[in-house]
Amino acid sequence: MQNPKIKLQSWLTAIVILICIFFPIQSFSSDIQLTTSVDKNILTIEDSIELSINISGIRNPPIPKLPPLPKFIVRSTGTQSSTQIINSNMQVSTTHKYLLIPKGEGNFTIDSVVMNLSGSTYQSEPIKITIIKPNSIKSAENRSVYTETSISKSNPYINEQIVYTFKLFRKIEARNLNLSMPYDESFFRKEDLGKAKHYSMVVNGVTYDVDEISIALFPTKIGESTIPPSMMELDLINRIQSNRQRDPFARFFNDPFFGRATQSKHKILSTKSIKLKTKPLPKKENLKDFKNIVGQLSIAATVGKKNIDEGDTTTLTVIVSGIGNIMDVLFTNLNLGDQFKIYPDQPLFQKSIHGNQVGGEKIFKFALVPLLPGKQFIPSIKLSYFDPDKNKYNTISTNPINIKIKPRTNIEELNLVQPKKVDSQKIDSSISILARDILPIHSRMGDFKSVTFDKSRRIIYMFGTIFPIVIYLIAAGYIRYKHQMNEDISYSRRQEAFGKAKDKLNHLSGSTLESKDFVRNLSQIIREYIGDKLNIQGAAFTAKEVEENLNKNTYAQDKISSVKNLLEKCESMQYSPVEPMNEHGLIDETTELLVKLEK
Amino acid sequence: MKIKKLYIILTILFSILISTNQVEAQKKNISSQILLANKFYHENNYTAAATIFEELISQGETNGYLYYNLGNTYMRLGNKGNAIRNYLRAQLLLPRNENLDANLRYAINQTQDQISPPPGGLITGILFWVDLISLFEHFELLILCNFIFWCICIASLYYRKSLWRSLKKISITILLVIFFSTGIKYHLSKQTLGVITDQKVAVKSDRNTQNITLFELHEGAIISVGQEDGKWVYITVSSDKSGWIPIESISF
Repeated sequence: MQNPKIKLQSWLTAIVILICIFFPIQSFSSDIQLTTSVDKNILTIEDSIELSINISGIRNPPIPKLPPLPKFIVRSTGTQSSTQIINSNMQVSTTHKYLLIPKGEGNFTIDSVVMNLSGSTYQSEPIKITIIKPNSIKSAENRSVYTETSISKSNPYINEQIVYTFKLFRKIEARNLNLSMPYDESFFRKEDLGKAKHYSMVVNGVTYDVDEISIALFPTKIGESTIPPSMMELDLINRIQSNRQRDPFARFFNDPFFGRATQSKHKILSTKSIKLKTKPLPKKENLKDFKNIVGQLSIAATVGKKNIDEGDTTTLTVIVSGIGNIMDVLFTNLNLGDQFKIYPDQPLFQKSIHGNQVGGEKIFKFALVPLLPGKQFIPSIKLSYFDPDKNKYNTISTNPINIKIKPRTNIEELNLVQPKKVDSQKIDSSISILARDILPIHSRMGDFKSVTFDKSRRIIYMFGTIFPIVIYLIAAGYIRYKHQMNEDISYSRRQEAFGKAKDKLNHLSGSTLESKDFVRNLSQIIREYIGDKLNIQGAAFTAKEVEENLNKNTYAQDKISSVKNLLEKCESMQYSPVEPMNEHGLIDETTELLVKLEK
Repeated sequence: MKIKKLYIILTILFSILISTNQVEAQKKNISSQILLANKFYHENNYTAAATIFEELISQGETNGYLYYNLGNTYMRLGNKGNAIRNYLRAQLLLPRNENLDANLRYAINQTQDQISPPPGGLITGILFWVDLISLFEHFELLILCNFIFWCICIASLYYRKSLWRSLKKISITILLVIFFSTGIKYHLSKQTLGVITDQKVAVKSDRNTQNITLFELHEGAIISVGQEDGKWVYITVSSDKSGWIPIESISF
């Protein structure tokens, strides 16, 4: 029986290990180390170095920063992580691997690799590397593998086709071949020349297997240009002669399936860059239709139907074939005179390889509608090109083609009484589509109004957005006011008080009342106004009551005293013996007071 | 005082008259240019027609039919890339034009890659009208819905009946949907579609001719244009096909 304490301990250990393995956060240990190593530090330009950066003592470390390596092409080849538990001591390490491909010879230093972790910086030791010429190790004659590049012409004319060829010579087996043939796209247009060729060749008495691949380049600019080095990456397979020759199973174990019988070596072979000088075409005279076509071309033309009715269509086919930049041939403004209406179709280009040169056939189709009856002819179609082999301009042309156009005889008579019934299905089935084309251009001038998001449109859109909101706010305010006036009597009395008082004052000023009646009415108007303003029923209240009510409604003291004074003045005038009074002055004083109260 | 007011009014009216006349003269000039370009087109002088159409567009004329006619002219010149580019521009302004759709389809069929414009996503599938209505029409619809909504708001305030309150809810829903679809349309119109204008373009893994060629595109291929970096631009054909191409190989 196992001790339950030990059992629990082992469970906890297992859980901790699992957490450490699967939990994707950094876990630190006290001694973090960053080391770098290379598989070799003296090598040829055809070899590559494997740089390993090892970080131990930390799980999931950050990717260390590589130093600048301008003399190498750097490729990441992967990351490995390992965890080792020795005597309950856990060691974790991560290795980042890079493939360094040298660009040139010399002595170089791979500077320290730096890793920043939680404010601490870890650095590795620098490594010195020497890159030497391959010839210094092995003579060219004895090389098991080498490459060559060549061009068919080093000073071509612009648009003249040149063939750039790459050859791989090898005596031993090679696998995982990867070829990069860069070219300056701003100087050349590239056309492929098919698949690679494989053949054997004897060089200085040594038989090599040769892999050859070519591309056609068309220089597009005049002047000096460089084709950069091509680079071939491959694994060379060296068969190891084992001591198993006498062994009956030797052949069996020498099979590549068993890795021990072969040894592969990664190689990068680069070629030299090639300089070119593209020259302009010689001066041309009286060649208006020359469109920078360079090569050897031929032209032919045929028509679909030579006897056609007026209004019918026939197809003119022009075929330009040969080698060179045939893909650039265009007949944009074909002039066949006034006797035809021309509808060009999209040209069709079919590339073909002639020996080691690219060429092909470009087919132009034009639907021709004759406009005049009788014997018509399609004139010669000319094409000028420059022949770089003969160093001269050529003009080729098609033969004129005669066409007979029958005038239209079967003009349909109108039968206004009984139209002939036509079987629509029959018509549909009899129509065969000869060609497809784009639909015509738009010519209704009214539709060509500019549609821009200009200032006026923006103003209209903004106005259209804001105007309804403004209208709503105004309408909402008005509706709310009307509703309140209808539903809230005190509010309506308050709102209408001044208007009512003003009307009554106007009426009073125009009346011919005796002075005592005038003063009574005036006093009544003021009391009614106060009653409306303070929502008090009736108007039979004294000046003191007015003062109390105004005080309750927090009116300013000066306003209250003005009202009180005016009312007392009216009372005194009402009950005192008859005295001459200034009626207009009283009206004005009252109006001023009301205005003051409204504020 | 009255004379001064009269003078101001007359000056305003006169300046309006002059500006209206200037606008009219400009319109007449543009119309005559379009007529001339159309004439050149019918006379198979496509280069001259294209030059006039391009000039009008560079002067700020924005019209779907102008782009359509320019697209046709480029098709006749065998320049499929520019033709498709102009058809796409026209489609933004004329989303329901059948002739334009037919010509765009025809032009795409003539290209080697035959890449159609990228389809809309789920949202444009739900808001089906987004592709059928132009951005300007969306704005106009939005303004109309806005006007109707506020009118209903006023009516519901005035009448204070449940019918108007229901109408208010319906109209605000419609307004919000149209507002959302206008936003979608605006976003879609800002998405840059480009067309390859070179005969063949190698799509590189990074901004350098020395980098690996991922795939090749041919003239007329429609692509989504992303980040620009100097002479290079990042393009996307589909979710698994993207890379860098020289900026001069593309029209957008």
